[in-house]
Amino acid sequence: MRGHGWKWLLCTPALIVLVLAASGPLLIVAVYSFLSPGNMGGVVWEFSLEAWFRVFFRRDIFEPDQVAWNTAHLQVFWRSIWLSLQTTFICAFLGFPTAWFIATRPRHTRTIWLFLITIPFWTNLLIRTFAIQEMIRNNGTINAVLIWTGVIDSPIQMMFSEFAVLLGMAYVFLPLMVLPLYAAMEKMDFSLVEAGYDLYASRLNVLWHIILPQVKPGFIAGSILVFIPAIGAYVTPRILGGGRTMMLGNLIALQFGQGRNWPLGAALALLMLVMVVGALIFYLRVVGRSDGVRRG
Amino acid sequence: MSQEIEITGLNKSFGQGAAAFHALSAIDLTIATGEFFTLLGPSGCGKTTLLRIIAGFEEPSTGALRINGKEVTGLGPDKRPINTVFQSYALFPHMSVAQNIGFGLKMLRKPKSEIKATVAEMLQLVRMEAMADRLPSEISGGQQQRVALARALAPRPRVLLLDEPLSALDLKLRKEMQSELKRLQTETGITFVFVTHDQEEALTMSDRIAVMSAGEILQLGPPQEIYNAPVNRFVADFIGDTNFLSLRVKAIKAGEAVLELPGGKQASARLPASISPSVGSRVTAVIRPEQAEPTPAGQGEMQAIVESATFFGTDTHLHLLLDDAQGFVLRRQNRPDQPSPAPGTNLGLTFAPGALRVLED
Amino acid sequence: MGCAVAKARFSINRLPGFGLIAVATFVMLYLPIIILVVFSFNAGVSQSHWDGFSLRWYQAAFNNSQVRDVSLRSLWLAVTAASFATILATLAALGTTRVGRFPGQTMIYALINQPLMVPEIVTGIALLIFVAAIKVQTGYTGMGYLVAAHTAFCIPFAYLPIRARLETLDHALEAAAADLYASPIQAFRYITLPLMVPGILAGFMLGFVISLDTVVITEFVKSAGQDTLPTYMLGQLRRAVTPEMNAIATLFLALSLMIVTAFFFITRTRGR
Repeated sequence: MRGHGWKWLLCTPALIVLVLAASGPLLIVAVYSFLSPGNMGGVVWEFSLEAWFRVFFRRDIFEPDQVAWNTAHLQVFWRSIWLSLQTTFICAFLGFPTAWFIATRPRHTRTIWLFLITIPFWTNLLIRTFAIQEMIRNNGTINAVLIWTGVIDSPIQMMFSEFAVLLGMAYVFLPLMVLPLYAAMEKMDFSLVEAGYDLYASRLNVLWHIILPQVKPGFIAGSILVFIPAIGAYVTPRILGGGRTMMLGNLIALQFGQGRNWPLGAALALLMLVMVVGALIFYLRVVGRSDGVRRG
Repeated sequence: MSQEIEITGLNKSFGQGAAAFHALSAIDLTIATGEFFTLLGPSGCGKTTLLRIIAGFEEPSTGALRINGKEVTGLGPDKRPINTVFQSYALFPHMSVAQNIGFGLKMLRKPKSEIKATVAEMLQLVRMEAMADRLPSEISGGQQQRVALARALAPRPRVLLLDEPLSALDLKLRKEMQSELKRLQTETGITFVFVTHDQEEALTMSDRIAVMSAGEILQLGPPQEIYNAPVNRFVADFIGDTNFLSLRVKAIKAGEAVLELPGGKQASARLPASISPSVGSRVTAVIRPEQAEPTPAGQGEMQAIVESATFFGTDTHLHLLLDDAQGFVLRRQNRPDQPSPAPGTNLGLTFAPGALRVLED
Repeated sequence: MGCAVAKARFSINRLPGFGLIAVATFVMLYLPIIILVVFSFNAGVSQSHWDGFSLRWYQAAFNNSQVRDVSLRSLWLAVTAASFATILATLAALGTTRVGRFPGQTMIYALINQPLMVPEIVTGIALLIFVAAIKVQTGYTGMGYLVAAHTAFCIPFAYLPIRARLETLDHALEAAAADLYASPIQAFRYITLPLMVPGILAGFMLGFVISLDTVVITEFVKSAGQDTLPTYMLGQLRRAVTPEMNAIATLFLALSLMIVTAFFFITRTRGR
């Protein structure tokens, strides 16, 4: 038939903007990670592997040949991964019953519940983090209530801890778990559940053998949707974690601020990108496989 | 009668090389002005492709297509004096019934007053005057069907193409719309090209039918001819119900074959020109279920035993086993005074001369 | 059918503890926000002790010229970026939807969806590096960088509903228009475009909300004096905050809520 030229022509304006302001800069990041840092930020155009070296190791200040693991960095990586996994788990634990609750409402009220989950999804992450801060500050709501009821005498320190970051991330990312789970449940064939009960399955059996296999794609999608922004989190750990419970995103930002080491920041950003792409590939593989089983 | 559509040597294939799919092969077809013409065939036979080529949505790979004597291949659908009633109706959801009907005239840049008058006339024609300002989503399926018809008729096309327009309607509504369509066609005098896979619809409405299979026209003729004298096994099987019998040729004389019936009696049937079996070989012969009649056992051309009977209201289908174990279905009209024979009953079968036909396989 | 569903629900609903966890989840989701809103009306300075109803913090917010500036900048930026993104996404959707597979399609999808996959902090520092280099070269320090960054970031969000809308359109509608003597341009003008409007509106709204919410990218791209409402709030949160921040957040929430509600209704009613 006719050529494909016009399709490309229609896409071109969007692609130009995306390449200039989204994809292209990523390539520059890759280049910068192999340069030397400038004194006042920026880079010196000299090839160097130092940034990548510094991601994992550090040199003794006085004897540069003395090399040791950069435990501070490794701690941040580990914290990022561990907190993200925990966040995913908490969101799954709370999200599954919530999605189920919504999916089993009558049709007209279901829309309202769904709307209630969608609102936080589209409201500012910053404001929601602020709301959590208000709850757990030393003179915040929770401490005020606990002191007022006489449970405690002096406020519990909750801010600036891994607990605070975990709470905040679970809070802001929860809708990302509920929505795909709900979508999977909505598509579910409820007569299969009836058939399960009909064939003498217990509630646990029905949940395990009938419901879970059917909503598995939603589970995996939700986990990925929570895990990826959690790994990339910056605002929530910055506000609730402070300087001592940094995550990878804060470590990256630090290199462009006080750290003044742009190549290191670039290398760390690429490391984050690798983690995200790794998670995505894992997702595509798992989903691809389970789809294959379904069709087969 | 003048010729409205002339198709000569038309081929259509999708894809290229070895993977090419030949949707239509060597179609030659002439449709007369004012005719109700039906393309009939199972899904995938190429009938919709042929319709889309006439409408201008597809271009033929080779061949010529003339409308009213004018070559139209290469012209887009907006340049052809043809309108289509789509299977899904394709009513514009954001326009009212009246706007839908007036759309074609608007595109033709007709004056507003003329559009208004024609829309009113069309609304009256399809009896939808009260619904002019409704949106398509606010009217029933049958009403949507009428609007689709009115919209296609409003520009007064030379030819109206109908792509399975009744398939989305339930049985009762479908019957109603069949006579409605026939009335509209008679009143407007426009040539209708109708596509369907429903043989009953084709038989009741058409002036002529083209039976299609695998991209070819197998038989072309008026409904009676198609039903009574199918040219091959496919047509006989597709149109109506038929008993197929495998019979031995005893003799051949003057275009007729003498066949040996189950049980040993002989009957003669006309041979189609396309086949010339040798004496002693077997041929396929058909008898329509309603063209045979039961007789007392021992009488008639063939002997059979009743296996089962299925009650259909106006008639009963008797499933018989002939002497040589071939099956045979007999359609018998129900009458209160004549109960249908019980399973296990022996009976004879007779049929009028001409009911037995030899067919190409 | 309704009966079957009702019956299934009746038996399944008793998955132990599910209802309780679900209700607790909804409470946890909304309680912090509700408290935040409530204390924006507090007469006192405390955010945990209620001193009576007052609108003083709203008054303070309105009289704060800095808040006014950053709010107007945020709104201007959101409208501009969402408009550009919607136009670009509409064109791209027309080029990629319902046209069959064509070479390079996967790459186009990857490029369009890339801002969704890459963490904001990575995009943020990438733009910081890029913008710094351009600033050195050209000396330009205007809002152009933010507009471009926000536009790129909004494109995938605007693209999704427009594409979804286009995909539900029946091909036969355009065929019918052509059949009724409409030229390709007329068919687009009278049929395709009007039917795309709900998708385009939804796309604009999503883009608007996304731009309004974007904090990380703005934080790294902005030049001096280009704070938006979110980056202003991020800066303020480090200090001791007064209920004025609650008042600003509440107004912000109300705006988001209005847009999301409108979006919800537009996408719900588009069915028929």
